Formats: sequence, structure tokens, C-alpha cells
Amino acid sequence: MNTTRRHFIKTAAVALGMPTIIPASALGKNGAVAPSNRIVLGGIGLGPRGRGDLKAFLAQPEVQFVAIADVQKARREVVRVMANRHHGNHDCVETREMADVLGRDDIDAVLIATGDRWHAVASILAAKAGKDIYCEKPCSMTIRESQELADAVKRYGVVFQAGTQRRNVDNFRYAAELARSGRLGKIHTVHAGILPLRESHEWLPAQPEPAPEVIDWDRWLGPAPWRPYNKDYVDGRWRGYYDFHGGAALPEWGAHTIDLCQWAASADSTTPVAFEADGQTIYGSYASGVKLVMRLSGFKGEGNWVVPGTCPVRFEGDAGWVEAADTGKIAVSTPALLDKGTPAEMAGTDPTKHVRDFLDCIKSRAKPAANEDVTRRGHIVSHAASIGWRLGRKVQFDPVSESFVNDPEANRMCSRARRAPWHA
Amino acid sequence: MIAFRSLLPALSIALLAGCVTEPAATLPNPAEEKALAALTTSTDAHEKARACQELAVIGGPAAVPALAALLNDTHLSDYARSGLEAIRAPAAGEALRKALDGLQGRQLAGVMNSLGVRREKAAVPDLRALALDAKRGVSAEAVASLGLIGTTEAAKVLQQVLTAGPADLRIAAADASFVAAEHLANEGNPAAARGLLESVVRALPPGRVATVAQNHTAALRTRR
Repeated sequence: MNTTRRHFIKTAAVALGMPTIIPASALGKNGAVAPSNRIVLGGIGLGPRGRGDLKAFLAQPEVQFVAIADVQKARREVVRVMANRHHGNHDCVETREMADVLGRDDIDAVLIATGDRWHAVASILAAKAGKDIYCEKPCSMTIRESQELADAVKRYGVVFQAGTQRRNVDNFRYAAELARSGRLGKIHTVHAGILPLRESHEWLPAQPEPAPEVIDWDRWLGPAPWRPYNKDYVDGRWRGYYDFHGGAALPEWGAHTIDLCQWAASADSTTPVAFEADGQTIYGSYASGVKLVMRLSGFKGEGNWVVPGTCPVRFEGDAGWVEAADTGKIAVSTPALLDKGTPAEMAGTDPTKHVRDFLDCIKSRAKPAANEDVTRRGHIVSHAASIGWRLGRKVQFDPVSESFVNDPEANRMCSRARRAPWHA
Repeated sequence: MIAFRSLLPALSIALLAGCVTEPAATLPNPAEEKALAALTTSTDAHEKARACQELAVIGGPAAVPALAALLNDTHLSDYARSGLEAIRAPAAGEALRKALDGLQGRQLAGVMNSLGVRREKAAVPDLRALALDAKRGVSAEAVASLGLIGTTEAAKVLQQVLTAGPADLRIAAADASFVAAEHLANEGNPAAARGLLESVVRALPPGRVATVAQNHTAALRTRR
């Protein structure tokens, strides 16, 4: 449990055994949020997606954003201005060192939206510092990192929400509920839309490194292995490179869509027991007999999905099917499946309800929708499937030990050394 | 090929004794030999980095010396560690352990972490010495690696650090103790885990980390 101002006020009043007389304004009457109910937030690595998340946080009345750590000067300045403009003050501080944010006792929670290479390490450091965590996806580079992240969150008792916001988007929730409630009959196949699998080991040509105050290349790399600086990487074109983009890009959308399939198949506490790739399609098999099909989708309607939009999923049972995607739309095999009303159209990329869920859980200490347990297994499925694809053969997986069965070659792909000193 | 030839006499004897079940696993295959050649002959950092990563998947004991030779390299040390962490042969752990004396700074911290990731029991005395030697500047990294190793011997060192080590190392030792306690409990020794966590509670002033230790200690009381 964190020792925060909110907890201190609560526990101190009880310990002193006396009524607390607090002004109405401090209790949040008249529309104001009581200081004791504010959630003080810091940010780590907020680029375009991170700023979208931050906007959703700032829309919540109890959030006070006070610090941004980013290795890029331009990005941290944009965030600082954004926060100060919202709050009407000059309180937000900027730094390139995340320890400056994690070391502040007044900060309750952090929003982490660095590149993938940093997600797990930054989250583990935040957990060690006692911060509640909202971390963008994919949250890990490897199977081992998926385990370490979840273990650290449990170890320190912090609240964790992965940025897999579709668990809190209406059409996806409706689709998963249809599957989980039995209205589709016995579920036999779940489909997850993925981006093309790719894995480059190339290095871009070396360019002169900027001053660390402008772009701190050493910190940008963080736990990823060293390579010479090139501006393309820091401008966002790091995807597709093995060192920066785990799981051959499968977790990029798989963190959402495979996670939703796990949920729909009532498989949040397990994983498939086998994976086999056929080109850009990977088939997973659960011990229950349910099939997981990870197949191509994209930004231009690739993959013959019924519902248009990115990150599509489809759940099939012996009594019907449902499909949903980021346009907020839903398609069903029979209109009767929509008898409770078509879910409101909400963009799949909208984190508003997911952020609200996280903030509520900070207060209640309950587990949010994309907590560390579901994130661990959903990400492990992505990584295990991608290892099967890399090997080009069927692999058997043990959901309990979270390792490949009698397969040393595959098991050697479950971990990577982290660059010193960013070991978390 | 030289490595292959050097293995032939031992392999022949082992085959005659009927005790070789996976001979192919101990011999360099063509892909491994190609990666090894890149490591030893190329002057291109990218080629060497890529070879290390390939050896992390396909490398065997024959790759250990070439990988170990890069542990002191500013940019390639972490790539070499990737290879050595993945090669399960004891020689890889031994190479990492032997490298400790000649390294400093980030390279030393990295190798210590790899020893922790591999859970190299033989490295506990080395890590103990590094944890207690402030001049080497890697005490926190050493205790973190002891936590990853998580044996009863490692736990004893962590208890020493908690009770008699420098005050500024106690939070790092507490964090490492949590990891070690999980290993001990999961491997059938909850009593040792509890003892370690109780050391954390005694060593730290009241606060968040001490509360974490108390919570875990309480949870372990129900485990035998």
C-alpha cells in the first residue's frame, strides 16, 4: 500500500481518534476536488500516444499532473506546457531522468508511454518506488519481461493498468460478454487481428549524436542493446527492429486483440498449449479445445474482416458469432444477439473509460480491467506465438511453467540481456 | 572446426560408453561456426553484434570464449552477455564469473546481472565481496544479483548486508530480498524466505518498503 497524502490523512484521523474538521472546499464540495482526493500524476516518455492518454487523464477532475520525464527536450516541453495550460499554473517540472519523477513522494501514479524497450523496466522501477502505473502497450519485449513485470507489481502491491484500453471500449466489451455469457453457444474459435510480422536486425547509418540535453541517446536506448544514433529511431520509426520491437511486431496489436480473445475465451488465467505458423497466420490451441487464430489485419481493410477498422476481433461459437473493431461497430450472426441494444460507438483507440477505471482502482485498490495478471498472460501468448513463427515449426507451450515443452531452442528465445545499468 | 576436432576423442569414448544422448547439442553446427567466425574475424560492430544474438539462440560451449572476450567492450558487452546468458553450459557461467575481476562500471554491472539471471550459485562469494566493497561502486547491483540467485547462501549474504552493511544499501538489499524470498518460497523453503523478510523488517525504519516486507512475511506465515 502506498503511503500517500490521501492515505496519510485517512489513517491519521483514525489514529488520533478524533473527528476531523475540514473545510467544505477541502472536502471537494461545490464541484472542487478535495486535495486529499487528488491523484498526483507524473509522466515518463510521452510522445503522441502518451499525450493522447494524458489528455484523457487531464479530463478527470481529480488528476493533477506535476512532472514529465522524457529523453527528448522537445517532447518534455510540449507536455509541460500542456499540463500547465490545463491547470493554469507553472507547477509541472520537466526532466530527462525518470528517477526524478519516481523519487518524488508526492506523486501517486505514473503514466508510462515510452517506446516498448522501456515499458517493463520503467514499470518495474515505478513499482519499486511504490507508484501506481498506467503503462502503454506492448508492456514487454519478451516472455521473461512479462513475468518480471507482473511479479514486481504484485511484490509491491501497486495498481497496474496496461494501455490495452479496448477492455473498456463498449463494442469490444459487448462482444466479449456475448462470448463469455454463452449466448454464442460453446466457443470454438477466437480470431485476433495482427499487423504483418517482421523482424529487422539492420542498423541505420550512424549520424552525429545530439547533445544529451536535446536528445539523450544513451537513455533513449535504455535497456536495449547499443547501436549508433540515427534520428529516424527517435522520430518514431523504431518499429520493426528486433532490438526495439518485441515479438516480431505481433504484440503491437496482439497486446489488444489477443488479450480480448483470451478474455472472450474465458482464458485469462491460461494460454494456448501449442502454436503453429502458416505464413503470416499463427494458430494457437487451448487445452479446452478452443482455437486462437492470429491473422492479418491492417490499416486498409486487410484480412477480410466483416467489421471495418483496426484491431479487429471475432469470436465464434456453435450458436453464432460476433465481430468488433476500432470503428466502434459490431457485427453479429443474428440480430437477436443485439437485443440488449447496439453498444454505443466509441473509437477503439479512446482511453477515456480505461483511464477512469484505473483512477477508480487507485482509490479502491481493486484490480483494473487490464491488470498485471491478464497483461502477463496476454503478452506471453503474443511472444510465444511469435517465437513459433520465428522457428517456422509447431511449438508446445506449458501455461503453468510458462515455458516451451522439451524445446530448448524456443526457450532460449524467451529472454534477452538488458543493457547495463538498466536492469530494474 | 578446430573445436569439433578437439571434441572427437572425448566423443568417441562417450559413444563407446553408451552415455551420449544428444551429441549434436555439443558440436558447433555450420550456423554457429559462421557466427563464431564473424565474432573472431570481423571488424564491423554490427556484424559482431548480430553474431552474438545468433549465438544466443544456437551457440554452445564452443562459443563461450569468443563471447567472453567481448565482455569488456564498451558497445558489444551487452550483446555478448545476451549470448552467455542463453548458453546453458556451465562454461558460460564460469566465463562470466571469471570476468568480474577485470571489469568495472557498466560492464561489471552487466556481467553481475547476467550471473543473477543465470542464477549462478558459484558466484555468491564473488557477489558478496562486490556488495561489501564500496570502492568498486557496484554494491547495489551486486545485492540485486544475489536476490536473483535466491539460494539460501545468497539469502545469508543479503541478511548480512541488511544487518551489518551500510545504511544506504539497505533499500537495495530489501528489494533483492523480496526477489530471493519468492525464489526460496517457491522452491520449498518458506522458512528461509520468512527469515529473510523478517531481517528486512528489522533493518528498515517504518515506511513503505518495511510495510511491503511485513505484508509478505504475514502471507508466508500460512505456508509450511
